Amino acid sequence: MENALLIGLSRQVVLQRELEVIANNIANLNTNGFKADGSVFQEYLMPGARSDRFIGADRRMSFVLDRATWHNLSQGPIQNTGNPLDVAIDGNAFLAVQTPQGERYTRNGALQINAQGQLVTSEGYQVLGESGPIVFQQTDHDISISREGTVTVKEANNVAEAQRGKLRIVGFPQPERLVKDATSLFAAPAGLAPQPAAASAGIIQGAIEKSNVSAVSEMTRMIEVTRTYTAVSGMLQAQSDLRRTAIQQLADVPT
Amino acid sequence: MRALYTAATGMAAQELNVQVISNNIANMRTTGYKRQRADFQDLLYEHVRRVGTQTSDQGNILPAGIDLGGGVKTVATPRMMSQGTLSPTGNELDVAIRGDGFFRVLLPDSRTAYTRDGSFQMDAQGRIVTAQGYVLQPGITIPQNSHNITINAQGQVSVIVNNDTTPTQLGQIDLANFIDKAGLQAIGDNLFIETPASGPPQVAFPQADGLGDLQQGNLEQANVEAVTQISDLIAAQRAYEMNSKVITAADQMLQTTSNLTR
Repeated sequence: MENALLIGLSRQVVLQRELEVIANNIANLNTNGFKADGSVFQEYLMPGARSDRFIGADRRMSFVLDRATWHNLSQGPIQNTGNPLDVAIDGNAFLAVQTPQGERYTRNGALQINAQGQLVTSEGYQVLGESGPIVFQQTDHDISISREGTVTVKEANNVAEAQRGKLRIVGFPQPERLVKDATSLFAAPAGLAPQPAAASAGIIQGAIEKSNVSAVSEMTRMIEVTRTYTAVSGMLQAQSDLRRTAIQQLADVPT
Repeated sequence: MRALYTAATGMAAQELNVQVISNNIANMRTTGYKRQRADFQDLLYEHVRRVGTQTSDQGNILPAGIDLGGGVKTVATPRMMSQGTLSPTGNELDVAIRGDGFFRVLLPDSRTAYTRDGSFQMDAQGRIVTAQGYVLQPGITIPQNSHNITINAQGQVSVIVNNDTTPTQLGQIDLANFIDKAGLQAIGDNLFIETPASGPPQVAFPQADGLGDLQQGNLEQANVEAVTQISDLIAAQRAYEMNSKVITAADQMLQTTSNLTR
C-alpha cells in the first residue's frame, strides 16, 4: 500500500534535483565559457515481497534514482568583442590555468594582464603557456595571439614583433570526466591527464565564447519538470484518497 | 528548494548586467569614455555523487557524478580600452590621443589622475586645464597676447606671441601608459587613478615607447557601440525573465507539495 507513495516520492525528489540543474543552467545563460549540465536518471528495481505466499510471482517495483549530471561540452556561440585579450577556443580544447589548488582548465577566455604583466583570468589566476606563465613587458603593445596560441607583441619602438610565449591549449581523451570547479574552471580527476589539443582546435583572438545553454530547451525541460511534478502529486493524492476511502469503508461495521 | 536561490543569483547578475549596459548607453556621447562589460562565472558546485568514486570491490568507478551548481556570480566589470573614433571639432585646445596613453591631470588633493578626455581649456592664469579646471601635467602656461596655439603629434605646444613670426615653444605634453589599463579605477569626471592592479604609470612623450600620437582639433568619442549594447540589453532582459520563470516553476512545485495535505 505504501509503495505507490514511495515510488512517487522517489520521482519527486529526482525532479527537484533536475530543477536545480536547470536553474543553474539558466542562471548562467550569460556566463562566458559556461557548459550546460544535464541529468541522467536510472531505474532502481526493488525486489518484491517474497512470493511464496502468493499465487503467481510478485511484480518488482521500479523506483527512479538520479545517477549523474553530465556536461554538455558542445561549442558555445562565439561573440566578437574586438578586445585583444579576449580569446575564444574553437574546437575541443581548454586553456590551462594555474590556481592555488593546482592546475585547472577553462573555456572562459576573458583574459587580463595583472600589475606584474602576467596574463591572468578574471579571478587573477595565471594562464599557463607551454613554458610557464606568459609575462608582458611594461612597454609592450599591439598584443596578437595566433590560432596556435603564440602570443606576439610589439615592444616599445621596435618594428619587429617579439614573442611572449605560447598559450598551452590542452585536450582530454574523455573530456566528459572533467569535474566543474566553479569560477568557469574544470578540474581533471585522477587518471585523466591533459594532452596537447588536436590540431583542429585553435584560438580566435578578439572574440569570446558565450554560454552554450540553450534557453529554449532549458525552458522546455523546466515546464516538463513542473508538469510531471504536478502529475506525480495528483497520483499521490489519488492514492491517499483511496486509502482514506478504504479506511472509512472498512471501519464501517454493519450493525 | 535550492532552485529558488540559484535563480535569484541569476536575476541579481542580470540586474547588474543591465546596470553596466545602461551606464554605457548613458555615456555614449561622453568624450573619452571607455565601455565596461560584466563578466560572470558559475558558483560553487555541490558534488552529491563524486565522479570517480569506487562502486564495487572489483574497482568499477563512477563514470559521472552528480554535481549541483549554486548559480552565478559577477566576477568583474572590466573596461574595454579600445580606441574611440576621433571627431574633428576645430577647437585648438581639443586634443585626442590616437593609440595608447593617458593625459596626466593634477587633482586638488595633489594625486595624479589619468584621462583620455582631451577637451582642454585655459584658466585665468593661462594654464591648460581640463573641463573641471584640473591642471594638465606637466603644467603648460600660455602667455597673454599669444595666438595660434599649435600642439603637434609629439605633444609639443607652441604659440605665436604678439607679432613674432617664429612660434615660441612652451613645453611638451607627455602621456602615461599602464601595463594593465583595465586595472585603472574610474573616479568619475572622465578620470582614472592608478591601482595596484594597473601597475605604476610609464610616462613618455607621444609616439615613443608604443604610445599614440596627439591629434589637435579632435576629440575621442566614447567607444560604446550602440548596436552591441542594445543586443546585450535584450539578452540580459530575456535572461532575467527566464530566471524569474524558474522561480515561478519552483514556487509551483512547492505549492503542489503543500496542496498534498488537506
